[in-house]
Amino acid sequence: MSLGPEVTFFVDLLAIYSIYIIINTSLNLEFGYAGIPNFGKVLAVGVGAFVAAAIPGRIFASMAGIEGDYIADNIAIMSGVNAWLVDNTGIGFTVFFVTLGIAAAISAVIGIATAYPAIRLRGDYLAITLLALAEGMRIIGINYADIAGGTLGVQLPDPLVWLPADLRFPIATLGLVAMATIAMIYSDRLIRSPLGRLLRAVRDNEVSAESLGKDVTRARVKTIMVAAAMAGIAGAMYAFYAGSTIAFAYDRINWTFWPFMMILIGGLANNRGVLVGTFIFVLVRKLITFYKDSVQEFVPFDVVWLDYLLLGVILIVILLYRPQGILKERATPTIHIEGHHDTPVYVRLKNIARRLVYG
Amino acid sequence: MALDPIISAGVIYSSILVLLALGLTLTYMTTRVPNFAHASFATIGVYIALVVTRVWDASPYIALPIAFAVSGAVSLALYTFVLKPLIRRGAKPAIQMISTLAFDLVLIAAINIAADYIVHLYDVTSREFTLRSYDASFADLPMVLFVSPVLIAAIVFCLHYVLHRTKFGIAMRATIENPDLSSVVGINVKMVYGVSWFVGGAMAGVAGVMMSLWFQGDPSLGTFLIPSIFAASIVGGFASLYGAIAGGILVGMAEIFGTRIIAGEFGSWLIAYRPLVPLVFIVITLLIAPKGLAGVDWKNLARRLHVTRS
Repeated sequence: MSLGPEVTFFVDLLAIYSIYIIINTSLNLEFGYAGIPNFGKVLAVGVGAFVAAAIPGRIFASMAGIEGDYIADNIAIMSGVNAWLVDNTGIGFTVFFVTLGIAAAISAVIGIATAYPAIRLRGDYLAITLLALAEGMRIIGINYADIAGGTLGVQLPDPLVWLPADLRFPIATLGLVAMATIAMIYSDRLIRSPLGRLLRAVRDNEVSAESLGKDVTRARVKTIMVAAAMAGIAGAMYAFYAGSTIAFAYDRINWTFWPFMMILIGGLANNRGVLVGTFIFVLVRKLITFYKDSVQEFVPFDVVWLDYLLLGVILIVILLYRPQGILKERATPTIHIEGHHDTPVYVRLKNIARRLVYG
Repeated sequence: MALDPIISAGVIYSSILVLLALGLTLTYMTTRVPNFAHASFATIGVYIALVVTRVWDASPYIALPIAFAVSGAVSLALYTFVLKPLIRRGAKPAIQMISTLAFDLVLIAAINIAADYIVHLYDVTSREFTLRSYDASFADLPMVLFVSPVLIAAIVFCLHYVLHRTKFGIAMRATIENPDLSSVVGINVKMVYGVSWFVGGAMAGVAGVMMSLWFQGDPSLGTFLIPSIFAASIVGGFASLYGAIAGGILVGMAEIFGTRIIAGEFGSWLIAYRPLVPLVFIVITLLIAPKGLAGVDWKNLARRLHVTRS
């Protein structure tokens, strides 16, 4: 059995959509709800990917008793590890989930450490600091080869290696969809919690929130921690999905600028807006990549730049003429009202499931 | 005369950083939005220098006035067509910052398209090229080593003269201090802002021409300089032109000489981590003196140090 090009296209689309949903939900928590301009979103994503590149492969290699230099003999070690993983699926999954946890923890710690110098200062200082320190992450990743192979990159172990080759990517995509759903539900609940209310209060009027005795800095630190952990998990899962990591891939445009664009298209501080904005953006980009070659004949330059040019102009037009995005921010009811139009999606799903089960 | 090449590197790099930080600080002082597209204005200057030297076969210094005008115009366009309407609609500072990021993306794309066109039309290398051999020489040293500090001194002198001795400069300082009060007394605030953005961008274009004579030119050159430019401006305090000069010299010299000294002590593998130097400056400045060099009360500090010593 082999999958047709339409199925591959759809699976690819769904995978990248899920990854971006996790990242964009975390960015929406920071920027949409708490007003923290995290211009270094790529930092947490990259740290997650580096953890996935550096840790599980070494664990598996030592468990399977494969000798050699992890970076220099990476390809040979990884084929040995993957052969070993076929018979050790359980250990594979355990280490996979432990890696996600480590990625979340390290990303959260680094997220706080990088935000710390500027967290009490004006938003623009925080933005500059985070943007600059995210560049630092890339420089370390490229030069310190022990993490992710430096300029050559590394292969990752594949916990799904026991699956038939045709099913590997569809099943991995299902895992990504599940994680994106969890991220969405978690963020939905967080927004309705007292912390969520505090974040919106701080965003809208910092002075009045402070005058009511709220610890503004602490609320910001919490948000950055949670958001960095989510982005770290997304980065690690993307690295596992792709099967390899290279530090060059974690650049400002792909993992900071596009997420900002997606949440601005969909509408800030609106999780449904994240779903819509991410879908539109990912679909458009996928179609551009799909039809790129047919345009390439007509222009004497690389079409990828036309893509960037258009998207940059579109974002400026959105900021000027539709700054609230497609879906506006709506009042968030924090108590559950039966039949209310703003009932969270997960509550509605739960109600449907309950009706199905109990009749 | 033998001169350690690291001294020329330090002088030229610091001069370029001073010029870039000056322009960035000037635009920040007026509109209070950090312009993330600033480094790309310099990349435009690099490509103008490439066209002037390789296509027109002229001296690279002819590119200086052209880059001044073109980068200034692009910077003015960013203010007039993006930031001014956003400010009028009451957009938050974060949204204004994102708009400069979007503008930067447009510029990077346009520069890359231009680079591909240059190859297509003139068959001239437009990526990872060097123009060092086109520079004139003086006393066996590259001309840019003398031109860059002199040019910066001239620009700083002009700026100082305009800001303190002319009516327009006084209006500009008043606008920076208090835009509302200035507009009440009849100063055209938007015109003042427009002029600052033009001059800020133009200085970046001039810096770009000098960059082309020293660094390897590439569309991504500006992107690599962003942390250094912001570090220089933050060290300077982001609110004072003299602070930007001091910040540019400090960060530039630390990147060149500091890296050399540390690498000499601990091993040459550290040279690759030179881009981390500006980040260290940003972190230390924000932790110790968030208002930068210009915000430190030097007299008070000296008195306190004196007291503790005696």
